[in-house]
Order: sequence, then structure tokens, then C-alpha cells
Amino acid sequence: MNQTRSQQLFEQAQRYIPGGVNSPVRSFRAVTGTPPFIARGQGSHVWDVDGNEYIDYLGSWGPLVLGHAHPTVVEALHRAAEGGTSFGAPVELEVELARTICEALPSVDSVRLVSSGTEACMSAIRLARAYTGRSKVIKFSGCYHGHADGLLVRAGSGAMTHGIPTSAGVPDAYGAETLVADYNDIASVESFFQAWPEAIAGVIVEPVAGNMGVVPPAEGFLQSLRQVTADNGAMLIFDEVITGFRIAYGGAQTLYGITPDITCLGKIIGGGLPVGAYGGRRDIMEMVAPLGPMYQAGTLSGNPLAVTAGLTTLTELQKAGTYEKLESLATRLADGITQAFAQAEVPATLNRVGSMMTGFLNAGPVDVLAQVEQSNTEAYGRYFHAMLERGVYLAPSQFEAGFVSLAHSEEDIDRTVAIAAEALGSLG
Amino acid sequence: MQLTKSEALFAEAQRLMPGGVNSPVRSFRAVTGTPPFIASGSGSRVVDVDGNEYIDYLGSWGPLVLGHAHPSVVAALMRAAENGTSFGAPVEQEVELARLITGALPSIESLRLVNSGTEACMSAIRLARAFTGRDKIIKFAGNYHGHADGLLVRAGSGGLTHGIPTSAGVPESYASETLVADFNDLDSVEQLFNSYPNAIAGIIVEPVAGNMGVVGPTPGFLEGLRRVTAHDGAMLIFDEVITGFRVGAGGAQGLYGIMPDITTLGKIIGGGLPVGCYGGRREIMERVAPLGDMYQAGTLSGNPLAVSAGVATLTELRKPGVYEQIDRLATRLTDGVGAAFRINRVGSMFTGFFNPGPVESLAEVEQSDATKYGRYFHALLERGVYIAPSQFEAGFVSTAHTEADIDATIERVREALAELG
Repeated sequence: MNQTRSQQLFEQAQRYIPGGVNSPVRSFRAVTGTPPFIARGQGSHVWDVDGNEYIDYLGSWGPLVLGHAHPTVVEALHRAAEGGTSFGAPVELEVELARTICEALPSVDSVRLVSSGTEACMSAIRLARAYTGRSKVIKFSGCYHGHADGLLVRAGSGAMTHGIPTSAGVPDAYGAETLVADYNDIASVESFFQAWPEAIAGVIVEPVAGNMGVVPPAEGFLQSLRQVTADNGAMLIFDEVITGFRIAYGGAQTLYGITPDITCLGKIIGGGLPVGAYGGRRDIMEMVAPLGPMYQAGTLSGNPLAVTAGLTTLTELQKAGTYEKLESLATRLADGITQAFAQAEVPATLNRVGSMMTGFLNAGPVDVLAQVEQSNTEAYGRYFHAMLERGVYLAPSQFEAGFVSLAHSEEDIDRTVAIAAEALGSLG
Repeated sequence: MQLTKSEALFAEAQRLMPGGVNSPVRSFRAVTGTPPFIASGSGSRVVDVDGNEYIDYLGSWGPLVLGHAHPSVVAALMRAAENGTSFGAPVEQEVELARLITGALPSIESLRLVNSGTEACMSAIRLARAFTGRDKIIKFAGNYHGHADGLLVRAGSGGLTHGIPTSAGVPESYASETLVADFNDLDSVEQLFNSYPNAIAGIIVEPVAGNMGVVGPTPGFLEGLRRVTAHDGAMLIFDEVITGFRVGAGGAQGLYGIMPDITTLGKIIGGGLPVGCYGGRREIMERVAPLGDMYQAGTLSGNPLAVSAGVATLTELRKPGVYEQIDRLATRLTDGVGAAFRINRVGSMFTGFFNPGPVESLAEVEQSDATKYGRYFHALLERGVYIAPSQFEAGFVSTAHTEADIDATIERVREALAELG
């Protein structure tokens, strides 16, 4: 596979940018090799600067549920660009997007748009603290909620991939306010509430973990979180940055029938542009300035360009049959891949919820972080490259989710499965 | 002035969003009244949903140094949108933007693109702590660096405007790591270094304050900060989110001849889209993952759509005479509005304070008549001039403003002031 131009660009990039990338996992350190520089995307395919074409299951890490350069989104962007991309003042489109989100998620009476999942989660935490008057928060090891200091403690995603689950530069005083429980282990949560009565502001959780690879909630886990937080006057914060509008139009909270107090959103709601959101019960959101004393602001928050991309995307997702189609494509892929692994006699476990999935190189089951960590990351690296060389772009880390979009065809899926069989055969 | 549609939208917005806005100051609480909902912008003008047109000096709070919908930026956006707005993978345009920024600011040898000034500043702080191994930081009362918890302590901008300089929900343990000094008062800084030797990771400062209204650095202040940080082994972090590519091609650091250790950028470098940046000396940036153990990531960081808008903007700004042009226009405006205000201006960023004396410190800023400002704001708005809806913010001139715009504005300012009596 020719990567001449990518290699040149990567060399240049490394001179100006740490690791040559603006987000660590893109550097390919976990899987080795030179990351292809992408020139363009269309539907389910991307092309790199050397002309190599890939069927894309990264989808920019989740936002592109419609695929790349969806015509309706492109048209919306064209219109918005001509009218001015940002005013620092209210626009009608913000109201429309807010309405759409509030209608989709009954637990959200009021919502604030921000510019990233990171901003959404850090605001949600501050809001929980302001509302309850308490300081401690519970997160789960292996879950990732953006790079606010207090959440870079036993974090998943790239922090896990690169072996730095707790970041340097987070003061001990900050770290001490973050309690870390074990995902899918309710006892680990309950014991914190016993040890710190009336001191815990809230629990933040990925209702379906995606940032340690996909790990679904165990039976009753989310209900128990709802129970223990309610019993203790703490906020239940669902980080649906990945799962929102992905696994169901109403997100994980609708799929699993749980009402969180605060929800964080991102990725899909930006339609491929930077947008995040946090929202919840009205009385909680009334703490947010200018209504209340919890401050949070943003120059580009709610800008009409980003909002129009998000709104267009959510409108497309409202069309009948959307989630059935995603489910059908995802099932086709998951079944095919699972079979390919079995035939190649490679120990593998495929976890999937809707159109987000991870193939763990792991005999399984993969229900908790400790099991995730048993995965053969070295073999994943080789598998990743075997797929890349054959024109399939997966997440360059074992500990991430892959995604199917509405733009993927059955042909894409079948080709991918055939390629996987070949790739696995080549691993020897 | 008819605001019927805006009123209807604002009523609905308040049902769906806290205060009806996605950023507090937009709610107009400081100046009262209903905020116009903007329908479109072009050059130096914006039009609201009721069809009222305004000459715009807000410029979306700084990014729009080329004015609204600049043709080069629009063209770049159209192209990028067709090719895919985001890949979560490296793109050539990121390298271009990095090259343009490092080329303009010699103190930046390596940089990371993020999605907002907030993300840039919180990362810069974490980086300073990681690099020095220390926990405490110094910020200045009235300065604003985005909404990371530790920086929402005696914060400016909307924090100042709405009387909540220290946000609810920031744990005391977090706030205790943030030491607050007084802008333009070097003694207040030196005292903190005396009290906390070898414990301070860095100082973060707006080299020209914009978030308390514009307050320039007094002679020797920035030099003093550079000296005292170097002496103690602390980082000097320049928050140039407003001043970068605004007050000159080399930012405030270029204008005042200071080399900070870390710089944050935003606004202009996104060309009207969400982009932030933190960068500095190579050995410092080598602590950032994946090279080092300071973690920071972002799904949309460096996306080709935003980066294209930034590249188009910075490329336009390299044209000869651009900064002379906007400085000249800004001078024409501030000279023309006369003695009714105490005017602070650096390049094309300015604030007219309703204030008896010189405005060189936060205490002096706070002597301003914010109530009068509110009435003035509306008198101007009714006359088709849009300025910041708060006394404690900066106004901006763009390359799209014409002398005719400026002269018309001066005339309307005179009328507005006459109306105030």
C-alpha cells in the first residue's frame, strides 16, 4: 500500500504538532505504522492522500451516522456559510435544535449547547456540584468523558490506549474529588455512597461504555445506579456523547428506560461539526447562568453553521426505518465478522449495541474492564493493518467503538466480512 | 424598532435553554431588553429576524476580523463541506494551519488544535502543571480564560457582567489551587511567589485584557511577569484567544516583545468556526500525549472544515496593510466618538467606558457606569449599531468595515449620547 504522501505529511506534522496529531489515538501508536492522511470522504468511504480507498467504520469516532458528506448536510452547510457562520448572538436555529433535543429526550427539559463533549461533561459535573452543594463525583474506570482534569482519572479511550489513565498535570486536590468505581459492579458504587454519605454530587456514566471498546450495561446495572443516586440525593449523569441518537433516537436512556438527571451529548448532534450539549430537569438547569450561579459560556456555542449540520442530521434520523436499517446493517456485519473469527480460530468477542460495536481479540466474555484488558492488543494491531491494507478502516485502537452508518451498503458489509476472513487468514 | 419575531423566538428559547441563550451575556440581562435574533451577516453588517440591520462591532466576540461571510472563507467552507467535514484522522489542512500559526508566533514551536478557547486554556494549565510538577496557578481578577473550573475564580467577561466571578459548583479544593493577583499590579504577583516559592506552575494572563473591557498592560507589567516566572521556574502562559492575530500579525507577544512559554489561541484562528489552540516551546509540548503523559484529546479537533476556515482567514491576514487598515479604522472610530468615554484601544479592539478616570485596573473598570452603558447600548441598537451588550467586553473593527460605516457610527453615537442627556 503506497503511503508516500502520508509519510511526508506525517513527518511534517510531527514537527509542528505533538505526535503529529491533534488527538493522540490518531497517531497509530497503539497499532504502529503511519496514519493515512485523509483527503476526502463520501458516504461509507474515505480516500487518503495517496489515493487509497477504504470502507470506513471509524466514522470520525461516531458523529457520521449519515456517512461522509451527506447531500442534505452539505447543502445545509452551503446555505449557512453564505449567511454568516457565527454571530455571538441568538439565532433561530439554536431554538430548533434545542427543541429537537428536548423532544427526543424526555428527561431533558432544558439544554445548553457547547462546542464539544469535553465541554458538555465538565459543565454537567460543575452543574451537579452546584445543584447538590457537594464536591465528590463518581466515575467508572475505563469510561472517558473528555479531558476535564477531574475526569482524567482512570479514564478510558486514548488515555487507556496509551497507558496514562490518570493524566499528568491533574493536581492531587482535584483527583481526590473523583471517586472511581467499576463499571457493571454496583457494589463498587454502593460502597462509595456508604463511605461518603451526603458528599457525592453525582455519578457520571457512559450508559453503554464505548470508550473501553463497547461494553453494554449488565442487566439491572443502570436501574441500580438510578436507585442509589436517587436514594442519596445525588445526580445521575448519562454521558450519551456516543450513544445519543446512535443506539436509538432517544439514546440509551430510552432504550433502557432510565431517566437520568443530566445528560451529555455530542458527536452526532453536530453532524460532523463541533457541538456538545448538556441538559436535564428544569430545576437543575435553572442553576446555569444567566439564570443561576453556575457559570458556563462559549463564543461559538450554538453557532448557526454547526447547529444547522446537527439539525439536518437529526431530521434525517427521524425518518421512518432509520434505526431498523442501522440495526440490520450492524447485525449483518457483526454476524459476518463473528463467523470469520470463528473460522479463523481467532479468539474473539464481538460486543454490539445497535450500530456501535467492538471486536475484541479476547476469548471473552467482555463484560468488565478487567476482561477488556485481557484483549490481545498486539494481535489487534496486526489485524488492524491487515484490514487497512485491504481497504477497511477500523478504529486504530482495541479500546474504541466502531460504527456503521446509513451510508453503508450491504455490499460494503459483505465485502468487509470477506476481507476480514482474508485478513485473519494472513495473520497466521 | 420592531422586535416582534425576536420576542417570540426569545420566549420559546427561554423554555428550552437556560436564559434562552447558549452563552449568558447574549441574554442581554446586563443591558435589559430582548436580544435580537440574527438572521444573517455580510461584511460589517448583520440583519435580525425582524429585518433590522446593524453595523456590527461585536463580530461574534472577536473571530470575524474579516467580517461576516468573507468570500475566501465561504469558498473554503464550500469546498471542505463537499469533501467531508471531519474524519477523526490526520488531514493536510491541519499541517497548513499549524505552519501558519508557528510561522507567526516564534514562541510556538509546537501546537495542538482543540475546539475552543476554553479547551485551549484548560489544557495549557494542565500542561504547565505537568511540566513543572507543581499545582498552584496564578490568574488575574477580571481576566477570563474559558470555563474550566479552576479558572472560574474571580473571572471576567460574563462572570463579571453577571456578578458571579466565582462560579457555583467549583469545589473549594479546586479553587484553592488558583491564586488571584491584580492585573497591572506586579507587586500582587511577586507577593504570591514569595508566599509560594517553587509551588506555582504558572501564570495565565490576557496580555491585553479584553474580558473586563479592554485594559492594556501598563509599561513593564508583562516584562515583570516574564522575569518573575523565569526566576521561579514557573510557566508564563499568554491567553491570546482575543489578541492573537488581532492586535498585530505577531499577537500581543509580538507587539510587546515578550516570549511566553505557552500561548493559547482561539476565535480568529477558526475563521468563524470553533477552533482553539495551545502551543509553546518544543520541550514543553513534548509532555502532551501521545508523546508524553499529559492527556488531552478531541473528536473534532483539527477537523478540515474548521481548519479550512482558519487557514483562509490567516492567509487573508497576511496580505500587506491589513493591520494598518483595521487599526486606522479603529482609530477613526475611537477618535471620532470623543470625550464622552474613557476609551481603551489596542489595535482594532477597544472599549468605551463610561468612567471618570483612567481605566488601568479592575477596580477602575468597576467604577464604570454600567447602567448608563445599558441605556447607551439600546440607544445605539435602535439606531442600527450593534456593540457588545455589556460594559465589560471588547468591541472590534474588521477589514469589512468601511470609512462610511465608521462615520455613520460616529454620527449615531453622538445622537445616542444626546438622547441620554
